[in-house]
Amino acid sequence: MLAIKRTRRLDPDPAFAATFRALAPRLPGSADAALARVRAEGFERFAALGIPTRRDEAWKFTDVARIANRPMRPAAPVELPLERVLPYLLGGPRARRLVFVDGRLQPQWSHTGGLPEGVIVESLARAAETRPVALAEALAGLDDGRSFTALNAAFADSGAWIELPAGVVLDAPLQLLFVATGGEPPVMSHPRCILRLGDGASLSLLETHVGLGEGAALGNAVLQLALGPGARLEHDRLELLGPASALLAKLDGSLAAGARYRQTTVVLGGALVRNEHEVRIDGPGVECLLSGVAVPSRGEEADTFVRIHHRAGGSHSDQFFKSVVEAGGHNAFAGKIIVHKGAQKTNAYQKNDNLLLSDDSEVDTKPELEIYADDVKCSHGATCGELDAAALFYLRARGIGAETARALLIHAFAAEVIGRLGDPTARALAEQRLLARLGGGLDPALAASVIGEAA
Amino acid sequence: MATALETVKDYTGSEYKYGFTTPVEEERFPPGLDEDVVRRLSAIKREPAWLTEWRVAALRRWQTMTLPDWQKPTFPPIDFQAISYYAAPKQKERPKSLDEIDPEIRRTYDKLGIPIREQEILAGVAVDYVFDSVSVATTFKKKLEELGVVFCSISEAVQEHPELVRKYLGSVVPPGDNFFAALNSAVFSDGSFVYVPKGVRCPMELSTYFRINAAGTGQFERTLIIADEGSYVSYLEGCTAPMRDENQLHAAVVELVALDDAEIKYSTVQNWYPGDKDGKGGIYNFVTKRGACRGRRSKISWTQVETGSAITWKYPSCILQGDDSVGEFYSVAVTNNHQQADTGTKMIHIGKRTRSRIVSKGISAGRSDNTYRGLVRILKSAEGARNHTQCDSMLIGEHCGAHTVPYIEVHNRTARCEHEATTSKISEDQLFYCRQRGISEEDAVALIVNGFCREVMNELPMEFAVEARKLLGISLEGSVG
Amino acid sequence: MLTIENLEVSVEGKPILKGLSLTVEAGRVHAIMGPNGSGKSTLAHVLAGREGYEVTGGSVRFGEEDLLAMEPEERAQAGLFLAMQYPVEIPGVANMYFLRQAINAIRKARGQDEIPAAEFMRKVREQAKLLGIGEELLKRDLNAGFSGGEKKRNEILQMAMLEPRLCILDETDSGLDIDALRTVADGVNRLRSPERAFLVITHYQRLLDYIVPDVVHVMADGRIRRSGGPELARELEERGYEGLLGTRLAA
Repeated sequence: MLAIKRTRRLDPDPAFAATFRALAPRLPGSADAALARVRAEGFERFAALGIPTRRDEAWKFTDVARIANRPMRPAAPVELPLERVLPYLLGGPRARRLVFVDGRLQPQWSHTGGLPEGVIVESLARAAETRPVALAEALAGLDDGRSFTALNAAFADSGAWIELPAGVVLDAPLQLLFVATGGEPPVMSHPRCILRLGDGASLSLLETHVGLGEGAALGNAVLQLALGPGARLEHDRLELLGPASALLAKLDGSLAAGARYRQTTVVLGGALVRNEHEVRIDGPGVECLLSGVAVPSRGEEADTFVRIHHRAGGSHSDQFFKSVVEAGGHNAFAGKIIVHKGAQKTNAYQKNDNLLLSDDSEVDTKPELEIYADDVKCSHGATCGELDAAALFYLRARGIGAETARALLIHAFAAEVIGRLGDPTARALAEQRLLARLGGGLDPALAASVIGEAA
Repeated sequence: MATALETVKDYTGSEYKYGFTTPVEEERFPPGLDEDVVRRLSAIKREPAWLTEWRVAALRRWQTMTLPDWQKPTFPPIDFQAISYYAAPKQKERPKSLDEIDPEIRRTYDKLGIPIREQEILAGVAVDYVFDSVSVATTFKKKLEELGVVFCSISEAVQEHPELVRKYLGSVVPPGDNFFAALNSAVFSDGSFVYVPKGVRCPMELSTYFRINAAGTGQFERTLIIADEGSYVSYLEGCTAPMRDENQLHAAVVELVALDDAEIKYSTVQNWYPGDKDGKGGIYNFVTKRGACRGRRSKISWTQVETGSAITWKYPSCILQGDDSVGEFYSVAVTNNHQQADTGTKMIHIGKRTRSRIVSKGISAGRSDNTYRGLVRILKSAEGARNHTQCDSMLIGEHCGAHTVPYIEVHNRTARCEHEATTSKISEDQLFYCRQRGISEEDAVALIVNGFCREVMNELPMEFAVEARKLLGISLEGSVG
Repeated sequence: MLTIENLEVSVEGKPILKGLSLTVEAGRVHAIMGPNGSGKSTLAHVLAGREGYEVTGGSVRFGEEDLLAMEPEERAQAGLFLAMQYPVEIPGVANMYFLRQAINAIRKARGQDEIPAAEFMRKVREQAKLLGIGEELLKRDLNAGFSGGEKKRNEILQMAMLEPRLCILDETDSGLDIDALRTVADGVNRLRSPERAFLVITHYQRLLDYIVPDVVHVMADGRIRRSGGPELARELEERGYEGLLGTRLAA
């Protein structure tokens, strides 16, 4: 095999090294030698890997260097009034949550009280003190050859350590809220979450990334999931970023036999929002459902990258991603199902549907299958098109104005994914943001009533 | 018409029927490639200066290029200096009539089932016979000439129709397009040339039969087909090679040009030697095929049945430039034992209301890997473009792999693209059902596989469909049980 | 014609047939009835040579031959036909094409020439008409998208065309409405002849109103428990399996 061509990677901006040198002594857990070493190694690895360019197949559709390879600063503490954050506090009155603003825990809005015995929910900074060795191992344990994961290991500032022992079912949702304020040079934060569910444990997780204001920010998040046998995780993600902000989110998950993982991601806003999923299915009876919808417009880019590894047979995975792209937006999807040798009786599906609503917009999709077992059911489909003219006409013939009809149909298209959000408050917020984006004077009640008729 | 089952039966027991060699006296270059080799090759072919310089420029370009590495198949490094770039049966002049052909070569084609004759089974087909690096015969030339259809070897075309060759050669696949296209542009030795004049519907199938015979050589043919306004042509190619333990390189370039209202139907039954059951030997089939639908309402349709070669690496593509032009790609790729196939198509939509359709059927057996890789790109200008893609894979046995890598890039809101893919196996139920009705297991596999591929097989001209069905059965022999 | 002696069969180590004996003579129609799980369908599949059944004891002779030593296609070529409960779909393979392949495979095995195309067409049309199978169904892919009734009629069409010596009907009545049942039964009755034997496997007596058997066997727990004339089926209808056999049966 030939060596990787250098042109596929760019050297990182020198500011990264300078920032790391200055910041390292102040990062969570810097007093612990093992943790400090893992961070230093993470930075070296990042520098060696460089910033990917579009010649790197995994980054073929979006130019991340444009956003991520420039001088950035770690955030200074910010004082935010509660009303700025209030709309994003989800999960109802009983929800527990950790709130971070620009990479710092906000204890005044966070609470994790009344947890059952043995359950751990603590911020990354806290975990760096209480379990530095375990944290160092977790950081070092994920080397996926991805430069931003290594960068996160070096800079990890926020995030959480979450552990549910066997059999524990958490009665209320747990929210992780990451707020970025932005500025110039852009503010960067590096949340790292480690989530482990023991046998049969169950959790509803709300992960929310929010950008406030017009300023630029980069969120570089890594989430490491491990679901034990029969564990259940309901994972709702809302990514509501400002027009100059970017989010690179990597999810690395292992699912043991009988585990059930449902994730729904809604992307509404962000200069570049890249969601990467690498999920390994390690036993039979697993159910892994990933869905998402993105609505990029006005130069925004949304990029979804999925790898599902069926390493054991007898499990089921389903990818269901949609996008609505308009006014100079760009959506990319690259999903792959890998059925490893011997993983017989696998069922794996993948669907990517796109609405492309203007000629200055772009949709790229690459649904891939890689199959090494013969007794499997795998299929995928991808579509790209504009709104159905017949449906538009139908609505207008019922007296609905063109703008509203259009908004209604787009809403119906996206609602199929938004409806999969498990938490009603998350669903309501996503819905409200979507309608605001679509215009056309839609109110949610009307949307719900007319869609039934048109469909 | 013989049925698939009968013909499979006829071949039972034979592994690769075409694996013999022909003892002909050859003229060949020693191994190695440099500017001198290219100039000598061009001189032997008495080419005009522009073509010599075109080749040399391509060589210089090639020397700066590196082998691509994005493909799925893996293979050891190729020593391009160990290959002989010219091998041809010794003959003073190209025979003036079919009667003057070397009897050994004549016997070879008899054995391959495509006798050099203008009669009998090939009555409806004009054939160009390419033996190693040169074309040795072309049938029905006279009849075609009466209609103004030019069908000859590309070497002859360089002499007799230099203006057409100069105008179109490299216009669809430029010399620097990719590593193997550059290599081919520098050293191509022969191939077929077709020109169908305005308004002419070519009355017979045109066919080229490629045969690699010599050891230690590569085959680098170049095919150029031009369909002028309102014309139609159906072209077929077939290929075989002797069984050898070494891997031989076949790096062809095919360029098609369809002008206004013209249609080109290009069918391939590829049966180069696939290597033995342990993966030893076999042809590396690294081919660049591309068609340009330059004219309005033009149409290019690729149909391929790929059963041979140790590695198949090719993407017959369409550039849909003319408004309302149509591109089609119908493919069956069968891999068994240690074969690797990485094949598919590119459909580039430029013109308004351009349409493309892709139907790909991949069948993997043994320890083989079979990849569909395709691109559908809709440019901003392609108002109202349509694409439909269907990719189905079938796996036979648990040691093979089937992969689907489609790229869809859309820049126009009025375009509509749909892609569907499925993976299946031959079920025990289906096999038992056939056997309960008296059909043997091997025949049942051939039957079910042929059914799986029917959509593509239906696109082949009759003469080829029969051969292709046989091949499917033979390629999968020993894959079950 | 068919002699089964003490046949014992297991599936994944679990005994299903536990010493079943049965003799079927040419020209006779034998019905096998039994509750779910009694081993009826296992018997049909073992006779046709389906994989996944382990014969642990006993023997089966078909004419002079050891049936169990033969491959499925050899059994078919020797004249054994199984009309399946769930005929499979084979996309891309046309119904008629498949039928011709099967006929020619069987003729070839018997040292006969291929069936001439005209004769084949004439016979198919004739039989299809009798079975109420339209031209359109003949042209479609084998069983692909056929309704339950169409699949069963297609099985009988194949049976008629392949001219077997022994016809095994595995729950052919399941999923059929009364009209389809009558058509199928008529098809079977037309094929009755002194050279041909039938083994009709069914859960319900209903089918036997139309295909009147010479002998009725009642199976339970992997064995034939009672044999008798057509009146046995009626008795069964009245008393049920439990009443007839005087034992409680697993559902």
